[in-house]
Amino acid sequence: MSDRLSCSQSTRRQLSGVLLGLLMFLLFVPAVSAQPTASGDHVSVRWLAPETFAQGPETIGFYFEVDPGWHVYWRNAGDSGAAPRFDFMGASGDVGEIQWPFPQRLPIEHLTNLGYEGNVAYLFTVTPNAPRMELVVSLEWLVCKVDCIPGYGNMTLSRPVSTSANWLSQDLELRDQFAARVPQPGTASTPLWSVTSVSAPEREESLQLVLAAESTGKDPAAPEVFPLDGALLTAAAPRVEKNAREIRYTFERVPGAAVPPATGFVISDGRRAWQLDDLPVEVSAGAGVPTPVDTGQPLWLLLLAAVAGGAILNLMPCVFPVLSIKLLGLVGPGETVSGRVKEGLRYAAGVLVTFAALGALLLVLRAGGAAIGWGFQLQSATVVLGLILLFWVMALSFSGVYEFGHQLMNLAGHSRGGAFATGVLAVFVAAPCTGPFMGAALGAATLLPAYAAMAIFIGLGVGLALPFVLLCAFPGLLNRLPAPGPWMETLRQLLAFPLYATVIWLLWVLGRLVGESGWLIGTLMMLALVFALWLGRHHFRSSKWLAWALVAVALVASFGAVHRLQQSTPAAQNNPVQTTEGWQPYNRVAIGQAQARGQAVFIDYTAAWCITCQVNKKLVLESDDVEALFRKHNVYLVRADWTNQDPEITRALAELGRNSVPVYAWYPPGAQTPELLPQILQADMIEALFAEDESSER
Amino acid sequence: MKAQDTRSKRSVRSWFGQWFGSVVLFAMPALALAVATPGEKAPDFSEVDATGETRSLKDYAGQWLVLEWFNKDCPYVRKHYGSGNMQALQKKYTDKEINWLTVISSAKGKQGYLEPAQALEVAESHKLNASGPFLLDTDGNMGRAYGAKTTPHMFIINPQGDVVYAGAIDDNDSANPAVIPKSNNFVAAALDASLAGQAVPVTSSRAYGCSVKY
Repeated sequence: MSDRLSCSQSTRRQLSGVLLGLLMFLLFVPAVSAQPTASGDHVSVRWLAPETFAQGPETIGFYFEVDPGWHVYWRNAGDSGAAPRFDFMGASGDVGEIQWPFPQRLPIEHLTNLGYEGNVAYLFTVTPNAPRMELVVSLEWLVCKVDCIPGYGNMTLSRPVSTSANWLSQDLELRDQFAARVPQPGTASTPLWSVTSVSAPEREESLQLVLAAESTGKDPAAPEVFPLDGALLTAAAPRVEKNAREIRYTFERVPGAAVPPATGFVISDGRRAWQLDDLPVEVSAGAGVPTPVDTGQPLWLLLLAAVAGGAILNLMPCVFPVLSIKLLGLVGPGETVSGRVKEGLRYAAGVLVTFAALGALLLVLRAGGAAIGWGFQLQSATVVLGLILLFWVMALSFSGVYEFGHQLMNLAGHSRGGAFATGVLAVFVAAPCTGPFMGAALGAATLLPAYAAMAIFIGLGVGLALPFVLLCAFPGLLNRLPAPGPWMETLRQLLAFPLYATVIWLLWVLGRLVGESGWLIGTLMMLALVFALWLGRHHFRSSKWLAWALVAVALVASFGAVHRLQQSTPAAQNNPVQTTEGWQPYNRVAIGQAQARGQAVFIDYTAAWCITCQVNKKLVLESDDVEALFRKHNVYLVRADWTNQDPEITRALAELGRNSVPVYAWYPPGAQTPELLPQILQADMIEALFAEDESSER
Repeated sequence: MKAQDTRSKRSVRSWFGQWFGSVVLFAMPALALAVATPGEKAPDFSEVDATGETRSLKDYAGQWLVLEWFNKDCPYVRKHYGSGNMQALQKKYTDKEINWLTVISSAKGKQGYLEPAQALEVAESHKLNASGPFLLDTDGNMGRAYGAKTTPHMFIINPQGDVVYAGAIDDNDSANPAVIPKSNNFVAAALDASLAGQAVPVTSSRAYGCSVKY
């Protein structure tokens, strides 16, 4: 097919050299019109340029008119073929880079090419700096159907420069049509999609790009993605998996291609396109599930930390009121020592069984490979609503609004029975109060082998139960408490207020989980409950039945509503991360890019349901001094919000050896491994980061 | 307490079910095709050459072997044969006891297909310096086993039978022979490094050229 053409290749080359010299010579002779076009088999090329140039920059191009069924190539030609080459031999102005309109995938027998079937314009900008805009360009292209024919040519352009540009309208239209298809520069995010991750499994010859759709429209279509690096990825269409707003592309790697630290793509919705350069590639060991590893710390130390952490939980605002009332209940007259010890042991059993059950659930999910962590209970809206119900009922009872005559009262610790239930309750209410020491132990628990992980959970339980059991077992200690009296009622009423505060906070968490309506649903349920209590107190006929019915309806309706809300709204959307000024949402790719720019990175792993996190945020991270420090040192600030289940953040935490929040990770400029800050932050700790930084620079 | 407990468990379970399904999906191999991959064993082959002799991978056990895909009508093959570049490489390395086989995988009726007699003529006219006559992989089995995409697609196999290079002949995908002196020849670099006992600098590249006409 191409015999004729290729035989004359070398002579043509020699000829073109001579011709070029001649053209260069003629360049400044006015009215040169030699070779304003180029052509070869199945292709002819002409300029898309104004008749008269203006002074400023202008986008012009080479317009390739290609025979039907034949194609020319994109910058990455794909599995075979070659991109056209434009060699600027002379120009009376500044010439920019070639701008490549986004291509289409062209399956050619067993291969896939990236190019254009039909006509295409390769564009570039020029800024004239002479009275005439002169260009001399040497071109080489490849045009293919199944067989390929190379083409060569030289093109000159010589047009006057005046005050305003004057285009032939059809040329301008063509130029604009292709300019719209040139990828716009993007970083890790574009108006429609943002990059969640780029990863290459170590053992598979593949590479995965995960995009998250930004649009709120229904079921956004997956964009086409074209790799920029043909030496890394084949041009075959990637496998595409859509999961809600997340779109996962699995590309095939060129056999044996080494995985570079970063790579790039062009993504297109079919009308527009964006170019994503320098996306860092993570080499992942497998499907991205952390496998049990040696945490480097001896087990006994972790167990000790777990027991200490559990003991400290007793002082947390969510646990303290419940336990103190329970304890005071034991001081009353008629309580025997043995009875108290029994109570204490029942309580301990409740705590340990619950911890063991939660630990077992976590381990089972972990064995299945689930990316979840401690606090996962609070990532479920129904559990949060359940806690609201619980705390509301307890608070009302503490306030004396209602004397419970039934089982619920036992939970709140009034009567003798129910110590076991109090233990269960203590664990549930303690979950959000991840205290000091607990982070490391819980993080280890998710990485260690199952038996050691379970030992840590039990250790936490022992710690939580210990103070109560000790007080019960040693009456001497208990006797130091003031004698029972009317003050106990006053104290009980006082302790209702932390519980009300907890209810408010849980309502806020619910709002974060399911959106605005979370507040409404929660408060309506609370209202219905109080109304039912009131009804129940007045003994009209069947008012009790009415009250029970009301409670049942309120519970079913509210739990159903939040469950549906959480199911229907995918995690990424219902939780618009409060992008406080200067803080970016967690995006592994953007973080990698910031590090590549040499920026320091500070990551705040947080959750709405984590009180410690909120306190640190308000008192330290968002204080004026600390914000000024961060700004001064140009720190890339990331808020990794774990309020909802988010496998990416869970994975990032696991990589830090943690599985709970808060975690504060500090990456000095250029560092790949972070420094972890204490869970209770102080402003001077942040200042110390920069002090070290400055002294090490000197 | 009980009510919301079972509810949350149910939601965890359904979520877990979805999640488990997706893991099963991810665990499936991305591609079942095994092709010649640097760092791995070279696929077996056994093909008849233009003189009717059968040549197999095992004939070259313990020796270096270069495989080159060829199509006389491909402009990129012409670039390297018209300039004498390919023949010079063949001569240089076969002189150093390195085996070099040139393979034609064009199917009958497709561009580049040659009957055995024609293949001998073309070898003559092209001054082929390979270790043997053209291998005639008319059914494409060998080409597909190696994942040969283009002509000229190059593979280097070490004496242990491992692929040490797969890809283009050099780093310049122009069809113009004038660029050859300025190009970085991946095959020569890999062979020189290997003979000097060093690691191959580039083990893989995008194989430019014309598609193999299976």
